[in-house]
Amino acid sequence: MRIACFLWLLAAPITVGQQRSFVACPIVRDTKTVPCFLAEYQGELYYLGIQQDITAAFHPPQLKHEVLVEGRVSEGPRVCGGIPLTPLSISVVKEINPACNTILPAEPGIDAPQAPRGAGPASYRLAEPPPAPDSLTGPQEFTVLYAFNDDFVDFAAIATVRRAAGYAVKIGASAVKVTGYRATTLLSNGEHLVEKAGLAEKRAQDIATLLRGSSVTGVSADWRKDPEPGDGKTDPTRRRVAITVIP
Amino acid sequence: MHRFFLVFAIPLTLAAQYQNNLRVTWIEPGGKEILPAIDQFENSLGKLGVIQASGPVDTTGHPFFTPLGTNGRACVNCHQPAYGMSVSAASLRERWLATDGKDPVFAAFDGSNCPDLPQDKEKSHSLLLNRGLFRIPLTWPPRNADGSSKAVEFSIEVVRDPTGCNSSPVYGLKSPKPTVSVYRRPRPAANLKYVISGAQNIVLKTGMLADRDPENGRPVAMNLMSDAREPSLMTQAMSAIMGHEEAREAPSRKQLETIVAFEQQVYMAQVEHTYAGPLVDPSGPSGLGAAALRDRPPGVLGDNDFDPVFGLFDRWKGKDHYPASIARGANIFLFRQFWLRDAAHINSIGLGNPLKRTCATCHNAQMTGQDLSAGWVDVGTTNYPTWTEPGTWVESSDLPVFKITCNPEADPHPYLGRVIYSTDPGRALISGRCVDVGSIVMQQFRGLAARAPYFSNGSAENLREVVDFYDRRFDMKLSEAEKYDLVNFLGVL
Repeated sequence: MRIACFLWLLAAPITVGQQRSFVACPIVRDTKTVPCFLAEYQGELYYLGIQQDITAAFHPPQLKHEVLVEGRVSEGPRVCGGIPLTPLSISVVKEINPACNTILPAEPGIDAPQAPRGAGPASYRLAEPPPAPDSLTGPQEFTVLYAFNDDFVDFAAIATVRRAAGYAVKIGASAVKVTGYRATTLLSNGEHLVEKAGLAEKRAQDIATLLRGSSVTGVSADWRKDPEPGDGKTDPTRRRVAITVIP
Repeated sequence: MHRFFLVFAIPLTLAAQYQNNLRVTWIEPGGKEILPAIDQFENSLGKLGVIQASGPVDTTGHPFFTPLGTNGRACVNCHQPAYGMSVSAASLRERWLATDGKDPVFAAFDGSNCPDLPQDKEKSHSLLLNRGLFRIPLTWPPRNADGSSKAVEFSIEVVRDPTGCNSSPVYGLKSPKPTVSVYRRPRPAANLKYVISGAQNIVLKTGMLADRDPENGRPVAMNLMSDAREPSLMTQAMSAIMGHEEAREAPSRKQLETIVAFEQQVYMAQVEHTYAGPLVDPSGPSGLGAAALRDRPPGVLGDNDFDPVFGLFDRWKGKDHYPASIARGANIFLFRQFWLRDAAHINSIGLGNPLKRTCATCHNAQMTGQDLSAGWVDVGTTNYPTWTEPGTWVESSDLPVFKITCNPEADPHPYLGRVIYSTDPGRALISGRCVDVGSIVMQQFRGLAARAPYFSNGSAENLREVVDFYDRRFDMKLSEAEKYDLVNFLGVL
């Protein structure tokens, strides 16, 4: 802890809006309610989010794995002892790292933000994600986002695929074009991380399969072989599949 | 004289009871019986209730009760009403004694550790007799439903083979028809409207399309079997007749439909507790008893505090010793928080690792306690180091051990990496995916008192061992009193 404080004194001051992209072990901090997830970079602790339901936008990282954190320092007080990052993207590194195993005990005065659901059973009925709005007309693009180096179609991505499929079926789309991408992340230390080859194709083929299995016809899949460049600011938005629905 | 009487009279009395139990409880294939609409069977914790919702069932010529293959077996051999439409290891041991091992349930094909063992020896059937495990021979590598080849992300080796079947030149992994033999408990053929409900087009845990019912093309729940290999009751019945019954000809469509119709109207649950008394009581918990299963709707999420998995037990709080203990056990199941860690397809699907939650988080389907989403999870019962078997160097265990090595380009198992030792790779033997190694589909919690042992590998001899496993696995730090309450709760389901 002393070393961390020393490094913090040496480090440049952290300013609102500053981009932080780094790979580190996640840290779990227990609280009276749900646990907080944090990560340390250059001696500073950053707040990533809290445990929630599968339907939440934030999916916590995992102990036993490092996490790629990509976020912007936001205004406001520390949360669970960490500097909040908004917007934030986190990606679990697939390979195991047993060293990532820190759970901090709950401490007086450190509370998790108010959460719709605590650590017990729900007190509300889970809501289904909304379908595509009725007002949609004409060609539409739906974007499925991914964690770094990952092709897992998570809850949010499934909801996007359902919306796209629902819209395509509703309007009797003449064609549905699926385009897969892989991307680069520019880390705060200047290093570039590039997603693995073949991932753009895998993402595109998987989404095309899901659409076809959702009664969508006229689906074609394409992909960009080369990785999208990284700018250290908007990198998470380029790890994607674009679904274009054409009337 | 008195001593003489005692020495001989007690065994005679036990024998008479034993024979009586057999006559009452074990249904032999090809019999002519009428199963009543409502029936009860005694077990060690009270009574199991079985309801035929369509009314009394005549077993005469009924394809569920009639051998359709070549080994004399029918569905009922492994799905006995008295044992929760499954079988208990104790009942199998009784059958061995009663028939001198000749009951068709001990068929060489899968009722013994391996077909090439001497079938008249008890030890050749040790997995069935000791743990209630049938051999499940799975073709390796797996293939898609249409017979096409499937990409497999790992290699598999046999590193321990106490049954000899996986290294057998006829039945093993390197035989002309490469086969992996795993050993599993039969699942209850009852309360099935719950088991087959909750199908989603896209599986939440994989982000992939759910399997389809070949009859109608609709997605299926994939919660039917421990590895989700059969999509529907129809395909399961067909597979069981061609496999477990060793049929040479496929059953007729009418036979399959009759079997499925029968299975879909059977409900079972514990209805009486030895010390708590009748469980079905208007003033008691609403989810207990077979009639509740018959009457409630399927596909309802129960991980909540207003209409929870097995109903509210509040009315039993503060009552007599046993009802109060059962109510506390229900509370622990629903509310007792612990760190759920390193469970593939729970922690790895976006919920985070660890997850501070309760039993009902995963066992969330109302009335059964399965997972409403396609529910295969690696909770650790079959994979080293959390498996319920001794270490690989101990030769006393009965189960084979496989070494799984994941391909470099595949995603590794999220918590065990790229080299995994497993007594049953579970779903991975069907999906070919490394992330699925050791994942087993959750099974329903009903009628537990009638069908020990537990877990897919029969490794928990009783409910206390089930609770102890979870306590160890997730470091729940349950007190003795909490364990006692949980066991009582599980025993009334």
